Amino acid sequence: MCDVQGKLVAWLDRELTPEEASAVERHVEGCHECRRLVATYERVSQTLDAYCDGVMAAKAPRQTRWVPVLAGALMAATAVCVAFVRTRVVPPAVVEPSIPVASAPLPGPPVAEPVLHKPTIRRPHPAPHIRELARQEQPMDATIQIAIPAEAMFPPGAVPDGINFIVDLRIAPDGSVKQVSLRQ
Amino acid sequence: MSDDSVPLALPLPRLAADSAEVAALYRQLRKPLLRYLACLGLTSDEAQDVVQDTFLSLQRHLASGGDQENIRGWVFRVAHNLARNRQTSYQRRYGETLDGGKDFPAEVATPEQVVLEKEKLRRFAAALHLLAKSERECLLLRAAGLRYREIGEVLGIATSTVGDTVARAMKKLAEKCNVRCSRQTSRLA
Repeated sequence: MCDVQGKLVAWLDRELTPEEASAVERHVEGCHECRRLVATYERVSQTLDAYCDGVMAAKAPRQTRWVPVLAGALMAATAVCVAFVRTRVVPPAVVEPSIPVASAPLPGPPVAEPVLHKPTIRRPHPAPHIRELARQEQPMDATIQIAIPAEAMFPPGAVPDGINFIVDLRIAPDGSVKQVSLRQ
Repeated sequence: MSDDSVPLALPLPRLAADSAEVAALYRQLRKPLLRYLACLGLTSDEAQDVVQDTFLSLQRHLASGGDQENIRGWVFRVAHNLARNRQTSYQRRYGETLDGGKDFPAEVATPEQVVLEKEKLRRFAAALHLLAKSERECLLLRAAGLRYREIGEVLGIATSTVGDTVARAMKKLAEKCNVRCSRQTSRLA
């Protein structure tokens, strides 16, 4: 083993004095083993550089990988928007309460008319109007009669059979009960 | 081995805080610093933060009239210490980067060469891991372009010790590389 071998790395790194460097250079020119070592050290240095570059490249933020992700997200968002735009929202049909009237003509078959635009009907707010009507306490024209069996109101045996009571309710315009009268 | 290392570049002029020279120094040292910090185990964001903190410290150092001799060594030493402080478990995190050989880019043509290059770097990383911490840090700082004197300042050891450590570490890596080369050659034969 040559004594110069311990200085080969420093010689490659130019860390020797000019005198030392000249001596090492002369020796390397004539020593096959030291030339092989120098080549090995250079290869190791190159590999170390490649390793450091590789580590740095591996840790660098990779923005390009976001491109397909963002493109996919954009396409999905576009598809969702298109689906919402193309979907027609049909409002549910309003079912009018059927009032059986003997003299009324039979209604014809329902004609389904597409309701594309629901007209906006501007109505005044009902609350002041209702409050005004309630204040006036106008009697209603119609009286609601409710037949209640006596068994439902009194204990068994307290009321003879066949006797019923009629309750008269007077309803105010706001829906509240104004008067209740019980009669036989 | 001499203590007065041969400078790679001309001696830097006297720097002033917020000067164009500091900006030029930042441009010159940013990439080697990032590479060194990445090899120490920092993530990309952490390395960026450390570099910025380092140059903020440099601004304060220059503004306070600090010593400007061996300014590159000063910058690397500050970055090295900041990285050490930032790492909660230095050894474990250092090991993480070495296992990710599959991400190493290889500027070779064929897929076989890509695989061989990645395998070579992975084995080299494993060999680098077997070195002592001081040997590894000396080699990484040397790969960052620092002179032995600057490496000594970063790590707080003598220049002659840096030379011995680098020579010993290179010899170990060369032996491992030679063993692997001879094994691969015999396998191919």
